[in-house]
This record gives sequence, structure tokens and C-alpha cells, in this order.
Amino acid sequence: MKELQNKAAELLENGTVNLLIGFCQDVSKRPVPYFIETAAEANILVFNQDCKNNLSVYLHKKEVKDAVKIGLVANVATLRSVLQLLSENQLGSLTLTYLTVNSGSELVVLGSAEELEAYVQANFPTCRPEDQEMLDKLNVLSREERWAFWKDQLSECVKCYACRAVCPMCYCTVCTTECNQPQWIKTSAETSGNFEYHTMRAMHLAGRCINCGECGRICPAGIPVHLLTAQMNQEIEKEFGGKTGFSLKGGYALNSFKPGDKENFIK
Amino acid sequence: MAETFEPKIVAFVCNWCTYAGADLAGTSRTKYATNVRIIRFPCTGRIDFMLLIKAFQNGADGIIVSGCHPNDCHYTSGNFHARRRWMVFKSMLDFIGFPTERITFSWVSAAEGKKWAELVNETTDSVRALGPFTEYKNLDFSQFNQIDHEGIAEQSR
Repeated sequence: MKELQNKAAELLENGTVNLLIGFCQDVSKRPVPYFIETAAEANILVFNQDCKNNLSVYLHKKEVKDAVKIGLVANVATLRSVLQLLSENQLGSLTLTYLTVNSGSELVVLGSAEELEAYVQANFPTCRPEDQEMLDKLNVLSREERWAFWKDQLSECVKCYACRAVCPMCYCTVCTTECNQPQWIKTSAETSGNFEYHTMRAMHLAGRCINCGECGRICPAGIPVHLLTAQMNQEIEKEFGGKTGFSLKGGYALNSFKPGDKENFIK
Repeated sequence: MAETFEPKIVAFVCNWCTYAGADLAGTSRTKYATNVRIIRFPCTGRIDFMLLIKAFQNGADGIIVSGCHPNDCHYTSGNFHARRRWMVFKSMLDFIGFPTERITFSWVSAAEGKKWAELVNETTDSVRALGPFTEYKNLDFSQFNQIDHEGIAEQSR
């Protein structure tokens, strides 16, 4: 912890970063995102297992982009998001420095995109076991049972769009949900509209989502929406190969094709 | 007397192959089911999955999505992109439990008027056998059906 604080202070001091996004503890000792601009503040930084927020979502904010040189205290999921965003040419104007703690609890400082790529590939996470368990459970159900499951879950959705706000991959300036000519997504929280919204969200994230699970964690209704994108990721990896948030030249599965793509349902 | 169920089929077709194929079926005086409503697109690559969802939400019982055979796309690669999207979309729908048998994907070229007529007939028959598409309607109304309207009215008096 001290090491992280010292390094952060050093980076801010010598001007390597103008803004550092990390975690501090709130009154109930829960880690919350914190933005640091001066070295003096670095002593309240924390980083531990509970720091689950994907801080890369802030990199789309104009106020943050204005700082240009940004330090990010990040877990592996966040690093994967950054890598995916870099492969989508979204962070071109920024100079990023990453501070992370590896599995041996040592501080790792990554100063370039190439270092980031190498670190992520060496520490690539697998699907969280609890998610895999849920996916396996759902996949053996009959179609009707799955429909009933999602109907039950999605009827709770109030369309607060927290899942969209928290997602680093949802960076469109105008979202389909805001289009009203035509009104693609019903504005009321009807279940059929919720199905539309979540199908749309999962489809737009398919092949781009890096499985950080923030959307499911953040959902005030407790809907496991992250399972939709997790399932899509696995399907895409199986069908087309390639992992999301794995390399700088990742490519996007739905933006490319192979003439020999195999399917079994087109007559 | 119970009316026989006539499914509403919406066909999303590409301008260059399937639409021309349907045109050929017409000029060849091939008879096929009248249940289909054809919507013409510049290319299968233009057929957004949201259009399919919207069609179902607005009362379609079945959907046909059709375009040029692979390697025959007027724009070289529109159908290749579309194919990937359909693959992902279909597994997405499978995962949320949507009855994907209501969507028929097909390649129909401009010369395949006969295949088009058969495709429409087969799809109409299979959707007729499946019955009306009610899943979406039930999503919104099942929760209201559980409300005891009579009881509420009684209480408010």
C-alpha cells in the first residue's frame, strides 16, 4: 500500500501524470473511486481485493480527457478494458500510466501500451467460477425455462441504465435507447421493452465486452445482466476465435468475417 | 366457428438477390402463400437485429431473413458480415429463450424464384404449426392479469 502511495506521489510530483484515478476508503472502509491531482493527496490511496470498480469508464469523460496524462490504479479487468479501448482507437489523445498489484502482491507500473499488453497476456483471467456455474446451469435448461428465468429477472429492470453508465465499452455519444425516431427501445419499464434493451445491449457488446462483470454487480435490481455478455463472449470465442481485451490489435468479431465461417441454420 | 390461424410473416430481403428472386417467382406465376410481407433492403448487411425484434413486437408471427449466397454479394462482403451477425444474434436469442424457430435464415439468389416460393410456403406452414407468437405480449400482460381488478374496484367504492 505504502509502495503504491509513494509511487503515485512520485508520478504526480515529476509530472508523469496530471491526474491519478484510484481508490480511497469511505467512512465504512469501502473502497470508492478517487481522483488525485496533487502528490499530497496520494497517502489516502488504497488498493485491495475489494477494489472492483472498473475505473477505465472514467477515461471517456471530457474532464478526465482534458488532463491528458493520466494514471490509473487498476485491476486486471480494468487493464483489459483499457486494452480493448486502445484496440478500438478510443484513447488516442491520452498518455496513460497504469499502477497495479500482481498476484504476488508486488506493485507493477506499466508505462506504455506494449507493456500493458504483455502484462495482461501474462495475467489473463478466466471466467469467474460463479459466472461459469450460472452459465452452465442456464445452458442445460430448456428454452422455455430459460425464457421464464429471464422474464423473471428482466421484469425487475427499471431501465435506470446503470449497466450502461458503468460500462467502459458503452461510449457512444448517442445510444440506441435515446433514439426516438423511431423509438427503438420502449421508454417505460415494461418487460418486453426490457428484453429489447438487454438484447440490444448484449448484441452491441458482443465481441467487445471484457467480462469485468460490473454491469451485474452494479444493478440495483440484482439482475445478472453480465451473464448475457459473458455467454456471448464464449460463443464468439468458440465460433470465431480471439479473445476480447487480449491484444492491441484485437479486432472486432462482428466487424470482420471469414468466407469460411460455418453455421448450420441458414437454408 | 373457430377461424384458422393465418400467420403474419415478415420477410427482410436484400434488393439484389432475394427481392429479384421473389420478383422472378411473381413473373413466373409461381403461386405461394400470401402471408408474407416483403421488406426490401439494400443489402443483408443493412438488416439490423433491432428490426427483427421490432417486427416481432409489432405482431409478426414469423420472420424470413434472406439475401445473396456467400460470395455473391453486390457489395462484396455484406452477406458475410450479416452471417456473423445472425450467428451471434441467434445464439443470443437462444440464450434468453426466444423461440428462434420462428426466424428462418436463407440464401435465395435472383434465379431461385422456385426456392423463394418454397421457402415462403415452408415457413408459413411451420409458423402456422407453431401458432401465434404470444411470448412478447405475455411479457407485458401476464403481470397485469395477476392484478385483481374487481377487488381493487370493490375497495375503491
